[in-house]
Amino acid sequence: MTGNLAKLFACAALPLALASGPVIAEIKIGVLVPDSGPGGLFGPSTRNSAMLAADKINRSGGINGEQIELIFADVGVPPAEAAQAALRLWKGEGVEAFVGMHDSAVREALLGRFAGQVPYVYTPVYEGNSCAPGLYITGETPSQQLAPVIPFVMDKESVSKWYLIGHDYNWPRDTNALARQFIADAGGDVVGEEYVPFTVSDFDSSLQRIGDSGADAVLVTLVGGGSVGFNVSFGSFGMDEQAIRLGTLIEENTLAGIGADNANRLYSSAGYFGSIETEAAATFAAEYAAAFGTDAPALNGLGQSAYEGLMLLAALANKAGSLNVQAMDAAAEGTAWSTPRGDNTLKGRHMAQTIYLADGTGGTFTIIASFENVSSSEACSS
Amino acid sequence: MSFALILNLVWHVGTLALIALGLAIVFGKLRILNMAHGEFVMIGAYSPVITSSMGLPGWLQLPVCLLTVGLVALAVERTVVCRLYGRMFDSLLATWGISILLREAVELIFGRGYQSVSLPIPGTVQIFGTSYPAYRIAIIGCIALGFAILAWWNSRSMVATRIKAMVENPGLAQAVGINTGRLSAWAFVFGCCTAGLAGLALAPTIRVEPMMGLDYLIKSFFALVVGGLGTLEGLGLGAGIIAGTQSLVGAALNQTYGYLAVLSLSILFLWLKPDGIHSALR
Amino acid sequence: MASILLYASLLLAVLLPIPVLFGDFTAYQIGLYLIYGIAAQGIGFLWGKTGVLPLGQAIFFGVSAYAGAMSLRIADGLALQLAAAAGIVLLLSAAAFVLAFLIFRGRSESGPYFSLITLALAMIAEQIAGAATEFTGGFNGFSGFASLGGLDPFGNLYYIIAAAATGMSLLLFAINRLPANLIARAVADNEPRLQLLGFPTHTVKGLAFAFSAASAALAGILFASHQGIVTPTSTGFALSAELVILTAIGGRFHVLGPLIGAIVVGWASAELRFNFPYWELLMAAAFIVVVLKAPGGIAELLEKSIQRISPDLPIEESDRTGAPMPKGRRIVGSLEFENVHLMVGVVRILNGVSFATPDTGIISIIGPNGAGKTSALNAITGHLRLSSGTIRLVGDRVNSRPPWKALESGIGRKLQVPSVFNSLSIAENIAISMLADRASWADYLRTDAFNWRSEELSRVLNRQGVPLKNSNEKQAGKLPQGHRQFLEFALAIASKPSLLLLDEPCAGLSPEETALMTSLVREFQENSGSLVIVIEHDMSIVEATSDKVLVLNHGEAIAFDSYEAVRNDPEVVAVYAGGTK
Repeated sequence: MTGNLAKLFACAALPLALASGPVIAEIKIGVLVPDSGPGGLFGPSTRNSAMLAADKINRSGGINGEQIELIFADVGVPPAEAAQAALRLWKGEGVEAFVGMHDSAVREALLGRFAGQVPYVYTPVYEGNSCAPGLYITGETPSQQLAPVIPFVMDKESVSKWYLIGHDYNWPRDTNALARQFIADAGGDVVGEEYVPFTVSDFDSSLQRIGDSGADAVLVTLVGGGSVGFNVSFGSFGMDEQAIRLGTLIEENTLAGIGADNANRLYSSAGYFGSIETEAAATFAAEYAAAFGTDAPALNGLGQSAYEGLMLLAALANKAGSLNVQAMDAAAEGTAWSTPRGDNTLKGRHMAQTIYLADGTGGTFTIIASFENVSSSEACSS
Repeated sequence: MSFALILNLVWHVGTLALIALGLAIVFGKLRILNMAHGEFVMIGAYSPVITSSMGLPGWLQLPVCLLTVGLVALAVERTVVCRLYGRMFDSLLATWGISILLREAVELIFGRGYQSVSLPIPGTVQIFGTSYPAYRIAIIGCIALGFAILAWWNSRSMVATRIKAMVENPGLAQAVGINTGRLSAWAFVFGCCTAGLAGLALAPTIRVEPMMGLDYLIKSFFALVVGGLGTLEGLGLGAGIIAGTQSLVGAALNQTYGYLAVLSLSILFLWLKPDGIHSALR
Repeated sequence: MASILLYASLLLAVLLPIPVLFGDFTAYQIGLYLIYGIAAQGIGFLWGKTGVLPLGQAIFFGVSAYAGAMSLRIADGLALQLAAAAGIVLLLSAAAFVLAFLIFRGRSESGPYFSLITLALAMIAEQIAGAATEFTGGFNGFSGFASLGGLDPFGNLYYIIAAAATGMSLLLFAINRLPANLIARAVADNEPRLQLLGFPTHTVKGLAFAFSAASAALAGILFASHQGIVTPTSTGFALSAELVILTAIGGRFHVLGPLIGAIVVGWASAELRFNFPYWELLMAAAFIVVVLKAPGGIAELLEKSIQRISPDLPIEESDRTGAPMPKGRRIVGSLEFENVHLMVGVVRILNGVSFATPDTGIISIIGPNGAGKTSALNAITGHLRLSSGTIRLVGDRVNSRPPWKALESGIGRKLQVPSVFNSLSIAENIAISMLADRASWADYLRTDAFNWRSEELSRVLNRQGVPLKNSNEKQAGKLPQGHRQFLEFALAIASKPSLLLLDEPCAGLSPEETALMTSLVREFQENSGSLVIVIEHDMSIVEATSDKVLVLNHGEAIAFDSYEAVRNDPEVVAVYAGGTK
């Protein structure tokens, strides 16, 4: 029965394959995207970015002369099911390398099951310090997003009293631990820090605390819907007059949900925005629009990270001469390549990259500063 | 600043009571555990998105909300819920499926992205030295007025009595000429519409996306449990205790403790006073 | 027994060759589904039999997975690891027992409150698991431990999981044939009746919940080894709901249903997720259809299409054996009401009722509607709590004790509307009444008890005209009301109560049946020497059977004397003025 169903629904997946073109694939690469669950919002832009990357890689000769084909799997499900979906590609479909855009719990589950036998590029923003054979990371870590940005913002906006608010889990806690240090270094104070469960959707008491604290800057490490809810309330209470906000995971979709009314003095720090105006980024955005139309899901840092991941994989595999983990690990350090984000270097399995600071005032991001070649302090030692 | 705390409390109690009202009607009168109740809040919250995408003027948001939520609720009642009267646990399971269907349907139409709904009444007003969003003040007023009218109607109307008669003895109710099928359908639609209205009222102040319903479902179930079924006073008390605990513990300690306090309080009520606080007071 | 082994070997024959036939990865996938299936089997047992729907089974699954993972990090050697696993499973099921025992104590139904409590607990567990990063690894999960006995998750671990699933199924098949199973089903069917037969139903539900928790915990232990990581989602609300859905789709009334459900749903969603972006839509629609059209799930559909293999109780009367004596007190003696007041809300039901019956004989209670007759019986059996006063049986206070303790004091009762186990067969109804107050713990785990017959019961069943003979397999709910009166009477007298309370035993009976019932009542009284109290409206029956008559009016005892004396009492005549009845 499932066979018939599979045929029936294969047609639904057809349009997604268009951009790759008719290639005779020699290497299969698994791309793990969140199609379901809270991250499902990023599924389409992630797929699109990955397909653009595959197209680019194939047009420039593939990986070690062989053409690549992408196979997608939905990992927007709990870790056990996500691991199954990935293993299905690896053991069932003969995938030789993975690029993953998903949460950290899924990453940890995959690392346990991959056990260093297959190269795996992890692409989204994350807390850092994940090191394993065969694992390479393009995502921004907290030190990259904050080290150059916090002093810059404090200077530009003349703010010094920070309030840290995030969801109650690893990434915000790790980010804030680092942020405290950068704030202190820049001569500022932390006047409050709090964590909110994922299940809480009202932020009134948090806003009141922020008001009472006298903070003039808020570091927001809430994610997804929580970030939207917080920022909407923040705006409607008129608190943008009291404090600026800086987020390390506020991308284009989140900003759209926050709305222009509530985005006054809202800053975001990331390795990519759809509105970066460098030549490489503009070309990429134009190709994206040409391939998927102007109504395509908006470009954003998380979705675009899949492009980065594939380009890293190609650069590294070409340098190592194979997709063998030992060979790639040996060749990894110092691998350099260029992408829409800028010029990148692999240091300690993590990507040293350009970090952009954008202002969301008015409901769209305007890049106001960029910091080149920022390396991560949460990279791996070897 | 403490006056803002009171206003926040009133705001949360009012909106929660409005959502729980619908759930109370559907669960209390029809014995349907409607796990899709939060999705009607969600659909209500999408009505400004519908009007703006169709280019309709803003004042049509309210009729569009009632129409959309009402039609969806009627369709759900006629196709699924009407087969589940008297099967409480089955109603829980089937409406759980409905909630997934509704989420996915909204996602198909509007996409998974967050929708931004701008405030119909922007800005803040000064009340007793506290600046508070004007829109929230207006909505608090509307909800208070709505509940006052409802309380008046409830004390005078026969409909509540008929529904009660129908649930307690459907055969007899039918025999004395009450159209049980139609009455159930209307009660269900009415219950879902209050959720939709709450969604419409909340939309400019929260995130609007297909998955938003679950938060409201759980909270209003607990409000119902704590308050007890059957009376408006109980409903108000329940909403007050649940929203109040979250707000006060959230303000005094932190949001995580506020959340855990709400859950623990609900467990204690379910265990020791399953008929709710209202029955405990009597 | 033979068919249990048949099922088990069929299951093994399906599960064992999977790695060889379909490869390691398929076996790995099926392994995960089986793990969920084991947890779902526990839900099926609890929900399908006792009617208690748990919405937070992931608490046991997840906590056990975390604890198991931690023990795997510390403990070396398979023996130590298995001991730790057993300890975890035992501890969690003990905790589950205490939880359910406390919540269900003093209640006679399983409303949604218990489901909501388990749901809230799962939400608390998930929140704590996510926030207690130091212990659990937080959102990113707890990892860095070897699997059970160092077995390869892609290899031999599968056989352990398959063995666990088979073992669990075997156990459930075995339980299905035991008296314990009958009692569990009776809870869902008619809890108040079961309590009147002396069963502490909160203990029964506590045990069933403990069993379901144990199966979830076992699954959690296996899950930790299979995945190599445990995250907060393993202990949260979403997984709990998922497990219930698996159970519902697979079929909660059948041992293998939840396993089938887990495999079918797991497989279908893995395939669909890979091929169809809106797979959740399809799954939800399928689920709704199952709930509406096939509440018994896939297993029931399968069972209907195959021949039903029925386990059934022996029916030859010659096979019957004597039952052990009732354990409770059976001393015949006077029932005394001492100034009994009873209020429900603001309504006064009994208003200072005092009387003392003779030690033996048949007492009728009469009085107009609303006089407090049934409430008086409810006070005796503990269904209503007295506002003041005392009720004594043979000198011992019996009021304000839970209904399930009534039979222990020798009180048996037949309710006004015939209350039997409608979904069970007549034979099963009778078997339950024979277990009542007689069975020891061990008897619930032996099939011998199905053969028990007491003298009292045989006398009723063998009596000419009693409409219960030769219809052992018939469902009690399908009997006409009159026949159900006889069945309930049989249930009430099977354990030879020393005080028998009968609430309108002749309601709905034909004149012939009425005569039969009154003679059965009289015979029971004569043979047992018990005290029998009957509420009756028909004065001819009252006259024919009663040794004494108690007249209640407006919650007060206005007369208590022989039928003749009562009939001529002017106060009684005033109450009944204008009517001969």
